[in-house]
Order: sequence, then C-alpha cells, then structure tokens
Amino acid sequence: MFLAFKEMARAKVRFALLIAAIALLVFLILFQQSLQNGLITGFIGAIREQNAPVLVYSVDGQRVIQGSVITPDMEADVLAAPGTGEVGPIGQGTFTGLPSGNTDGETFDTTLIGYELGPDGNGIGAPSTVVDGRLPTADDEAVVSDADVQLGYGIDDTVTLLPGGKEITIVGVAENAQLNVSPTLFVSYETYLEAVKSVNPDAGTPLPNVLGVIPAEGFTPDEAVASINEQSLTLDALTKDDAAAETPGVAQVQQSFNIIFLLYGLVVPCVTGLFFLIVTFQKANSLTLLRAIGAPAGRLVSSLLIQVVVIIGLGLLVGTLLYYPVSQQALGGISLQFETAAVIFWSVLLLSLGVLSSLVAARRVLKIDPIEATTGQGVGS
Amino acid sequence: MKLALKELRRRPGRFATATVILTLIAILLMFLGGLLDGLIASSTGAIRAQNADAIVYSDTAQASFLRSRIDPALRAQVEATDGVTEVGGIGNVQLGARVPGNGPRDLASVALFGYELAPDGVPDAPPYGQAWADESIEADGVEEGMIIEVGPARTPIEIIGFVEDTSFNGQSSLWASPDTWRDTLSANRPDAQLGPDVFQALIVRGDGDDLPAAIDAATDGATDSYTVDEAIDAIPGVTEQQATFNQIIGVTVAIALVVIGLFFALLTVERTSLYGVLKALGARSSTIFAGLVAQAVVVTAIAALIAGTLVVLLDVLLPPGSIPLLITPSRIILSVVLLLVAAVLGCSFSLRRVLRIDPASAIGTTS
Repeated sequence: MFLAFKEMARAKVRFALLIAAIALLVFLILFQQSLQNGLITGFIGAIREQNAPVLVYSVDGQRVIQGSVITPDMEADVLAAPGTGEVGPIGQGTFTGLPSGNTDGETFDTTLIGYELGPDGNGIGAPSTVVDGRLPTADDEAVVSDADVQLGYGIDDTVTLLPGGKEITIVGVAENAQLNVSPTLFVSYETYLEAVKSVNPDAGTPLPNVLGVIPAEGFTPDEAVASINEQSLTLDALTKDDAAAETPGVAQVQQSFNIIFLLYGLVVPCVTGLFFLIVTFQKANSLTLLRAIGAPAGRLVSSLLIQVVVIIGLGLLVGTLLYYPVSQQALGGISLQFETAAVIFWSVLLLSLGVLSSLVAARRVLKIDPIEATTGQGVGS
Repeated sequence: MKLALKELRRRPGRFATATVILTLIAILLMFLGGLLDGLIASSTGAIRAQNADAIVYSDTAQASFLRSRIDPALRAQVEATDGVTEVGGIGNVQLGARVPGNGPRDLASVALFGYELAPDGVPDAPPYGQAWADESIEADGVEEGMIIEVGPARTPIEIIGFVEDTSFNGQSSLWASPDTWRDTLSANRPDAQLGPDVFQALIVRGDGDDLPAAIDAATDGATDSYTVDEAIDAIPGVTEQQATFNQIIGVTVAIALVVIGLFFALLTVERTSLYGVLKALGARSSTIFAGLVAQAVVVTAIAALIAGTLVVLLDVLLPPGSIPLLITPSRIILSVVLLLVAAVLGCSFSLRRVLRIDPASAIGTTS
C-alpha cells in the first residue's frame, strides 16, 4: 500500500490526467442520466402523476393525448366494458401563456389539462401529489407542475392565455407533472373548453382527448384495459404507466441514451486498463527487481489494484462533484435532478469494470520472473 | 517521421488499445452527431423545404402552426407590405392515418399540410383529396396510388407521389391543397378548425433587407415573422436539442484529447531513453515530435475509419422509425476533423517532455 501511494505522489501529473479523464466521463454519464430522466419526466410526467389508473385513447391518437379524440360512440363503448368503473373526460391543449410571476413579460408554451374537478378537485385526472397549495375547486383555478414555478407560475400568480386574454389563477403545485416539456396547468374541464374557444373563435366544441377510467370493483387496471380494448378496435386503453412509457418518442429517447451509456461505459474501463498496462510496462525493470529481492507477487498486484481503486474512486468523486451543481439546474424547460441511484449504480459498475480491466496489467505482474533481474529483461519484454 | 510510421507498422499491438478507445470515442461522436442531425431533420424538413423570404405567424403563436391564425384582413396587410411579391397560405394538422393492408391499430403518423406556394421539391398543390407524401411514409407500407384514411373521421387522401426530406415533428408530411387540408382539419379536429380563407401561417416571397421585420411593422405587431432559418430555430425544442448535444459532443472531444494526451505522454515517458539516443545521433526535437504527431494522426485516422464504417453499418441496420439517426458525410467529416485536432492537441502535451530530453542521457541509460 505504501508503495502504491508513494508512486502516485511521485507521478502526480500522470495520475491526475487519468483521474481527470475518468471524472469527465463520470460527469458526462451522470449528466446524461439526469438529462434522460428530466426529459422523460418533462415529457410525460403528467401522465404518470395523474390519478386515473387507466387512460383510454382513440387508436387514431397514437398514444398522444392531444392527437386523440374520443367520440360519443367510443365513450359509450368504454362505459359498456365490464371492467369500467368510473369514467371522466380529459382534454389537453397547448396555448401561449403569459404568467404574471414573470416580470420580463415572457410568454411560454403552456399545456392545459382539463378534467372534471368533482367536489374537492380530486376528480378523475387530477394530479396525484400536490406539494404546495391545493387542488383547483372552481373554474379558472389551476395546479401547476413544480418545474414551472421558477418561470413565474407560482401560487397566486395568474396565467393569461393569448390571444383572447383568458386568465387562470394558480392555487397549487404538483410534483413532476409536466407534459410536453412545457409549463403544465391542471384545470377544470370547463376551463379547458373555454380556453380553446378563447384563442380560436372558429373552433367547434372539442371532444375529450382521452378518458380517465377507474376500474370496476374486482378488476385490476390490467384487466380493465383488456376489457375496454375488447369492446372496440377504435379504443386504445392503457394503464397510466404504459401510457407514459408508450408515448411516442419516449422509447426512442431511452434507446438512444442506452447506446450512449453503453459506449461511455466501455470507454472508462478501456482508459483505465490501458493506463495501468502502460504503467506496468514502464515499471517493468523496477517490478522485476522488487520480485528479485523478495517482494511477493501478491503484494505488487495488490499495490496495483489499490491504485486502480483509488484512481477510479477519485474520478468518481470529482465527476460526482462536478455533476452535483449541474444537476440542480434547469436546462431549457427540463428540470434536472441529482440521481442518487444513478451515482451508486455507475460507481459500482465503473469501479468493477475498472478493476476487471486492470487484471490484464495484474497478469503481467504475476508473470514476472525474478531471474530476469539478472538478464535485464522484464515484463515488457 | 519515417521512424514513427515504421514503428506503427512493426509494432501495431502497442497502439491497439489506444485505437480501440479512440474508435469507441469516434463512434460516440458520430452517433451523437447523427442523432442530433436525425432529430433536427425529422422535426424541421417541412420548414427547411420552404422557398420563402419570410414565414409569418400570428403574434402570440410562438411559431406554432396549431396556435397561429391569419385571417384574410391580416393577410391583406401582409400582401400590402413594401417588398412583398408573393404570399401563400399554409396550414397543418397532425393525425394518424390508416394504411390499407396494415392492422386496424397500426396507424402511420402524418402531418397534413395545405399550401398555396409550393416548397422546394414539392410540385404544385394537387387536386382535392390527393396529396404528395414524404418518402419516409413508405416505411409504413404506403405506395403511390394508395388511398389512406386520415384521422378519426377517416378522411380519404390519395397518395399521388413522393417527395424527399419534408418530415415535420418526426412525422411524415402530406402536401395537399388548402381545401383538402381545411376540410380534413374541420372533420377531425373541430377544436382547431378555421374559417374560410383563414390560414395558420403565410409563406412570403419578396425582396428587401429585412422582410420579416418589415411585415411585423406593417401589421403593427399582429404578426410574428421569421426567416426560414429563424423559423427552424423557433420550432420548440430545436435550439435546446442543438445546444445540449453540442455540449455533450464538446466534452466527448475533450475526453478524446485527454485520452490521446495520456497515451502519448506515457509512450514518450517510456521511450525517453530511446529519444535520448536519437537526439545524441543528431535527431532534432521537432523531428521526434513530428513523429509522435504522425503516430497520433494515423491512430486517430484508423479509429475514425473503423468508427465511420460501424456507424454507417448501424444506420443501415437500424429498423426505420426506431432511432432518429441520420449519418451524413459532413457529420462524419466534422467528427474526424474534431478528433484529428484533439489528437494533435493531445500530442502536444508530450512536446515539453520531448524538448527536455537531454542527449547526454543516452550515455549509460539504455541497455
């Protein structure tokens, strides 16, 4: 151990370069993990965080809420399905919103999700977790997603929809409930209908985009989904988790990021393995001499492994420290979060892969024949 | 230099690991760049194809077709603007399309455009009920002459031919007459329907230094006008995607630089005594350093070649519609150039070590 640390202290630049390379890679992996999760949460968080266990789209909607239209016939089919308990219409549209909390007068794409409030605002389609304030209990009130508060969508702020000037007052904040990576307001269904009419005087009365369904007693959400889908080929019922995961674009985002993670995951052990292999080659003569004067091979290998663990550990630490402040920021409309689970997962994985990759260098050390000290040859030969 | 290249030929194994790592990094760079290009291309093709000096939306639309509304009175103001020579209405609706032969739940995503002025590569608007289709829809089994049914109202649209690179928001575009678009919009999206002669946006051709600004001034701010490039950037997410990916690509290049720097710094340390001998024999530091740079460039070029081949192969093998990857020669060339610059810069870390080598060290240090 003494030897391992002494060597690192003597060759600071060499080891610092490796730590920097690993730290950068770790930072990139963690940053992209946050970006992926933030992107997906911003994209479909509202679907995951609303309270209807089952959502019914029209097949034409292709699992995009705004693209789906539920005709009265379809609604009748849903109501007739044995697995259906309670049903509520959900409408969604994107508007230009001017929040009063933003002093710059900046406007934002603003998503409205309309649902039937019920007596306490907790109707079908309401956000599940309100972290501040309360649910809307009347028309022209809204709950906003937490990521949007910083844009001026705070409690008691009003949002003016343009053109038309319809005003909505924010009364609560829900957790991770964005849709389409834009400020998202949960409002009464009536407020949503009025909003559509206010911005487009030519508009007809919108039909519900999707139906929120609470399964009938004795039916699980999966059974309710199967029951509704059997009713008609024009209906596309999904559990809310499936609806979130199968929103177009989500799978592609995950696949793309997975390929990127795989490549980064391969680069880290390759860099570590290469570095220690070269260092072992460089130290060939010294290692041979150490073996010749009685140093056991096990001690030399453990010295190598200690260096690997320390270097990767420091790389992970520096990378995580770089990642922490970035993870507290918002990128465009995407709210990033510090992903503790990702830090642990990647730390364990990269450390294991790094140690594995250094076994090639360890094998070289074990192959050292002390007699070569008398011939001038070493592991490098 | 010759010596360096000879070493590469005689002992390729010494450089194999660095080549593998650089290949991985090159794949990453090209994949990231291809992903960015694919995302942007599939989102912006319909706007890029516009032969326009200005694209005009209503003032609060935030460059969104769906939220924009230009009535005949506003259009007349635009047409009367100095420098404007041609004005054409355009509108869009995004729907699912039923394709004959596909399953009842297997729909194609389409963005139906109604247009008056034809974009580049798109013929003039066809008769009512017909449309030109972006060739990306062929992956959904659509063929020329086929009649697809669009939206929940199952509006029939006959495909009369294909056009290239006009996707919009990741969907295949259909190019139809304004009446076809307007009726399809009303039948399928009553909440978004528009009155007669009302369009979502205007395509404007003309002259003048800053036509978009002139139009917005002439309409007293009732319009929000963009050049084609600005309209592309204004599509939600485009600028953010570009900024994020470019940052990631930049850091990946920095990692390549560190890897190359690390590798050649270690190689230089390992060969210090040999370089001492070379210097003692009269070799100049610049010659030795040029050799190192040549090795770095060759290793990087080999890695880039392998990576380029693999990425092109990946692009070919990926099923259509899975990952929006677009591999173009310009992206590969840019990635290779970035890597080569990183290689030369990374190598320059070793310059100081090469300069510090004392020829006298050759005496008694090599066996």
